[in-house]
Amino acid sequence: MIFWILIAALTAVAALSVLVPFARANAGRAGASLTGAAADAAVYRQQLSEVDKDLERGMIDAEAAKAARTEIARRLLSAADAETAEQGGGSLSNWPRKLVFVVAAVLIPAAALGIYGLIGQPDLPDQPLVARLSAPAETQSVATLVARVERHLADNPEDGQGWEVLAPVYLRLGNAQSAAQAYFNTIRLLGPTSKRQADYGEALTMANSGIVSADARASFEKAVELDPKNAKARFFLALALGQEGKTGAAVVAWTSLLEGADPKEPWVPAARMQLAELKGEPVPGQAGAPVSGAQLPGPSAADVSAAQSMSADDRTAMIRGMVENLAGRLADGGGTVDEWLRLIRAYMVLGEKGKAEEALTTARQNLADNAEALSQINAFARDAGL
Amino acid sequence: MIVELGHFALVLALVLSLVQSVLPVTGALKGDARLMAVAPPVSVMLFLLVGLSFVALTVSYVTSDFSVLNVVENSHSTKPLIYKISGVWGNHEGSVLLWVLILVFFGALVGTFGSNIPAPLRSATLSVQSWITAGFLLFILATSNPFTRLARPPIEGNDLNPILQDIGLAIHPPLLYVGYVGFSITFSFAVAALLLGRIDAAWARWVRPWTLLAWVFLTLGISMGSYWAYYELGWGGWWFWDPVENASLMPWLAGTALLHSALVMEKREALKVWTILLAIFTFSLSLLGTFLVRSGVLTSVHAFATDPARGIFILVLLCLFIGGSLTLYAWRAPMLKQGGLFAPISREGSLVLNNLFLTAATVAVFVGTLYPLALDIVTGEKISVGAPFFNLTFGPILVPLLIAIPFGPVLAWKRGDLLAASQRLYAAFGISLLACLFCFWLWGMQRVLAPLGVGLAVWVMIGASAEILGRIRVREVGAARAFSRLTGLPGSTWGTAIAHFGVGVTLLGIVTASAFQTEQIRTMKPKDLVSLAGFELTFEGAVPRKGPNYTEEVAHFTVRQGGVEIARLDPSKRVYTARQMPTTEAAILTLGVSQLYLSLGESRGDGAVDVRVYYKPLITLIWIGCVIMAFGGLVSIADRRLRVGAPKPARKSKAVAAAQPAE
Repeated sequence: MIFWILIAALTAVAALSVLVPFARANAGRAGASLTGAAADAAVYRQQLSEVDKDLERGMIDAEAAKAARTEIARRLLSAADAETAEQGGGSLSNWPRKLVFVVAAVLIPAAALGIYGLIGQPDLPDQPLVARLSAPAETQSVATLVARVERHLADNPEDGQGWEVLAPVYLRLGNAQSAAQAYFNTIRLLGPTSKRQADYGEALTMANSGIVSADARASFEKAVELDPKNAKARFFLALALGQEGKTGAAVVAWTSLLEGADPKEPWVPAARMQLAELKGEPVPGQAGAPVSGAQLPGPSAADVSAAQSMSADDRTAMIRGMVENLAGRLADGGGTVDEWLRLIRAYMVLGEKGKAEEALTTARQNLADNAEALSQINAFARDAGL
Repeated sequence: MIVELGHFALVLALVLSLVQSVLPVTGALKGDARLMAVAPPVSVMLFLLVGLSFVALTVSYVTSDFSVLNVVENSHSTKPLIYKISGVWGNHEGSVLLWVLILVFFGALVGTFGSNIPAPLRSATLSVQSWITAGFLLFILATSNPFTRLARPPIEGNDLNPILQDIGLAIHPPLLYVGYVGFSITFSFAVAALLLGRIDAAWARWVRPWTLLAWVFLTLGISMGSYWAYYELGWGGWWFWDPVENASLMPWLAGTALLHSALVMEKREALKVWTILLAIFTFSLSLLGTFLVRSGVLTSVHAFATDPARGIFILVLLCLFIGGSLTLYAWRAPMLKQGGLFAPISREGSLVLNNLFLTAATVAVFVGTLYPLALDIVTGEKISVGAPFFNLTFGPILVPLLIAIPFGPVLAWKRGDLLAASQRLYAAFGISLLACLFCFWLWGMQRVLAPLGVGLAVWVMIGASAEILGRIRVREVGAARAFSRLTGLPGSTWGTAIAHFGVGVTLLGIVTASAFQTEQIRTMKPKDLVSLAGFELTFEGAVPRKGPNYTEEVAHFTVRQGGVEIARLDPSKRVYTARQMPTTEAAILTLGVSQLYLSLGESRGDGAVDVRVYYKPLITLIWIGCVIMAFGGLVSIADRRLRVGAPKPARKSKAVAAAQPAE
């Protein structure tokens, strides 16, 4: 509303800047301006007095002054002639009056508003960055919120609270690397707690595409040290044991973790699956599935929930990142038949048939001396139509 | 709201400038005082509207309002405040807005302070100024709108071209534009005079301060731009004959010629037709420069954007204004009465000579700038015209002009006496001859041109004072009288002497800096030493450093002279993070008026860097001379007195026959 009042005021002032001087001159108050010839004559008269002054100061001699006077006097005369000529034809018609009123009162506002209506965006408010960053959180996109906290942290890198707020957001956005860094800073500034150590380890693991690294394990161990009941830390430690091939120790770890756990906890089904896999039992809920990837390092529960909260693009990117990680690992050191199958299936899901076929060929070469694996792969390839 | 208010103000300014284009000039032609009375308030209103719009854009830059496309493209929230502000005109849209702001600023100046100008001339002038304003406002709104909005603003902008992130950008374009665009008002005066058919000595009187003002700012703007290029681009040169530089040099040369011919017109009512033509040409060259820079025909640091639609739009405006004014000129010029008479050897004659040479120099620059473009368009062949061409054409044209400078002011009006004038310059000639011989003795005969150049510079500098010395006549009237005569001298006399002295100073800087520059280029490892012109520079090693929006590798150097440490220099290579663009920051040590210039090249592994060191004797005189010239112009503006050129009367009646018609 204020905007339109200001627009109206501006337009009015602009129109008045035409109307007022016009009307005042009309009333004869400003009509005393010099005509061209009269102004010229005034200049020449001034020039004459300058010649006198120059002569007084001795800048020019009497002879030169006389010559100058003659010349100027000649100009002055012709200007005076022109002046009388101008005064002769001084009758003014009345036509401009209406025209000027129409122009000022109608044309200026109409044209200005018309053009502005075509190219302007009056509904779009100013959006200075500071205001955007300090607007109520619920009105902002996650990206803006993150930018806001990042700016704050760039200025106050020692603010542990800020890092702690930011870390899970990074994780949810699939930026595990930054999340790990943020958790690291949190621990550095606010001191270790069991939860922080477990979260840090989780971020490190996700940044490492699901493999529990030595750093991550150290962090989980510290978490358990601080709180022996920390389920997340114990979950990942059990996972780590499985990944290292210490099946016996892993089974013990999973069993003790599941003991007395509330079956409603979100991680419980995944833990049961892991345990069943390790024991060679049919996987609960997935019995009969030809291949189960459950014992393989895969996306954690947090990963999956993060993936769900992402946009489709981000999700695809995240999946793609994981697939590439897997492909790289298999190409470098080979892997089990299940891992190969998972890679091929992933390529099929992503619609990259060429890469799937490539992976199939590599898998066959890699597993050439394993008849059972080969037949499994061939069966899968037939089903998938490769 | 502020952004949209600025946008609306710009639209309103366009509409109002169209009204201003018609009403006052109609009043002037019909003799209707009411219509003429509209001009001054509307000219002020136009300035306020465009000013509001400019402020709105600046506010959105300062607050990093990324809902404005222009801000997104040219700003970044971490940029220091001064570059956020200067970034407003560091891009195509903003710089055209600044262009128009200065256009209406000059209109408002004439509207406010021009009350001594006859109403018809003033009204018509303001109307003509509004034609230009309307044309460029239309250009902005149609092709280069800085107020284009984004419904979904990004969280960060693209940052400004790092080369432009310098204090130079805050000063150079505004100064240059005030000069460049300032000549629009002399153009408007000329066209108005042609429309009204009244062109006389008084006209030159009204136009004088505006021409001088524009000239002063153009002088400062060009020299500032030259110094900026010198220290920012890192190649150590101060003038590159770059087409964009030439685009600003051409209006300067034409404007300088205009300044001198307007003098003849004011004092003697001669050279009227020529002066009007020069006024038209000067601004036409400004427009041409704008076209070259803004259309993207030229690629350089100034060409912010290349967009054919913009180029064509400016080309149409260019043709309209230049073609229209020249047609008007062709129609009116034959009706003008001949002005005062003068002999070839006279003050007027010397000013005609000045005009001839300056015009020829302008043509040389014009050809050198546009010929490659024309050739490219016609045949597709790409050539580049560089320093050798200009040294061969521009230089020789200027030498006779420089020799003649001291003669002009000591010649009498209407008919002069070359012998008498020369007598007054004996002392100046003697001193410059001595300076010349001294240089030969000092430097030997290898460089013949340099001592001659120094001699010429001294001649111009000392000769500049000849008029003042001649006027006070110490020997005839005694010291006391002479002093009172000295203080009584009009400002314009002082202005002339000061500005001419400045020309000499600049020339001296150019000659010595080009002839005696020494340089060393080498790869240095830490603790390496390089000697140059009696200085020893030790490379102390390089360290990384972080700025607000860049990271840099700073090399530390210690400068010693005769074993004594006199300074530390820290040149650096920067990478601006947002655009990942590298720049070279030269380190400059000013010693008196000479400079030691140190710039980094590529850095090698193992801590070694490529280093270029120059010693440039007296180089700052180039820019100091320009500042002196501009100061002379200011002194001249301050002289509100009317000028009369008292003609030297003929001693014998025969001499009258020798006098030539002025035109």
